[in-house]
Amino acid sequence: MPTALDTIDVIDHAAGLLPGDALHGARRVRAKVVEASQASHDALLLQPVDGLSPADRLRVAAHVCTLAGAPSLEQHYADRLADAPDCAEPSSPALPAMLAFAAKLTTDPRLGDRAAIDALKRAGLGDAAIVALAQLVAFLSYQLRVVAGLKAMRAGQEGTR
Amino acid sequence: MIRRNGFTDETLEWQSWLEPVKPAEASPLQLEVLDESHPQSRTSPYYLTLAHQPLMLRHRSAAYNAIMYAPGGLPRAERELGAMVVSVTNGCVYCTSVHAQRFEQLAKRSDTVEQVFDDPRTAGTTEREKAIAQFAIAVTERPDRLSAQDIAPLRAVGMSDEEIIDLLHAVAIFGWANRLMQNLGEPAEGSAA
Repeated sequence: MPTALDTIDVIDHAAGLLPGDALHGARRVRAKVVEASQASHDALLLQPVDGLSPADRLRVAAHVCTLAGAPSLEQHYADRLADAPDCAEPSSPALPAMLAFAAKLTTDPRLGDRAAIDALKRAGLGDAAIVALAQLVAFLSYQLRVVAGLKAMRAGQEGTR
Repeated sequence: MIRRNGFTDETLEWQSWLEPVKPAEASPLQLEVLDESHPQSRTSPYYLTLAHQPLMLRHRSAAYNAIMYAPGGLPRAERELGAMVVSVTNGCVYCTSVHAQRFEQLAKRSDTVEQVFDDPRTAGTTEREKAIAQFAIAVTERPDRLSAQDIAPLRAVGMSDEEIIDLLHAVAIFGWANRLMQNLGEPAEGSAA
């Protein structure tokens, strides 16, 4: 199981947590959260979506992490992109619109408006692809905050023990 | 009823900027995931919009429900306080209304809600609530600059690692929830629900 005490997931990896660390164990008290966070990551990157290739999703994810100042997650998504089967294929003509949407959503959620959705539609994305893109970017805001909080907790423990 | 600074604890509606899935045309998987997600999801434009990607919704709902409703650990009213502070900080009027109501139901008082609507930076009826509110703001506004100094006030009011992780999860998942609510549609003043 992905929550076994001797495994590390993407959040552990990005936060620098190893099996045996107190925080690695404390996360597993909420095993359902650990499992659903990793399963969300996997579904958001890999579920087939018309008009939204896995490589373009990884490009969006790396860009979001750059903007948000989350270098360990940025590295994770850049590494995944380098290994993606479709990484050598050209990106979608809609990628600039996707990156612009992702940037607004990441840096200030109150900038969201109907015009941003219409820009994605004009770039050729259907409703199902827009939902997938919004879920991915919104999830990243969650994931990078969990990682940042765990890193801050870890820093405090290293300072006192 | 509390109405301040554009926020309210009254019940609002939400309308989608996309075409929500029609329940009569939904696939068996979509209906199954809707029912896992929320008791009223088959009539909710928000859940019916997210149902365009049922497996993504399934895992989001599993995370959300485990974070906000699981027994033990951080008291649920305090998770709702974190959710409300994040929602006000992000300007999500719809999420704020829902989680202000949940806080009031669980805590059986509304003084903290008025304080959060006025200014989340100074909100909190107790030192513990103040520490929760300030942590929620820090995680929301500057995740790239969080440090041990942001954790210390939580330890000072007696929180364990497990409680801090519960709070971190609640605060972080509202970074997710707010962004969907604010970028796929908008709140509307409604009579229903």
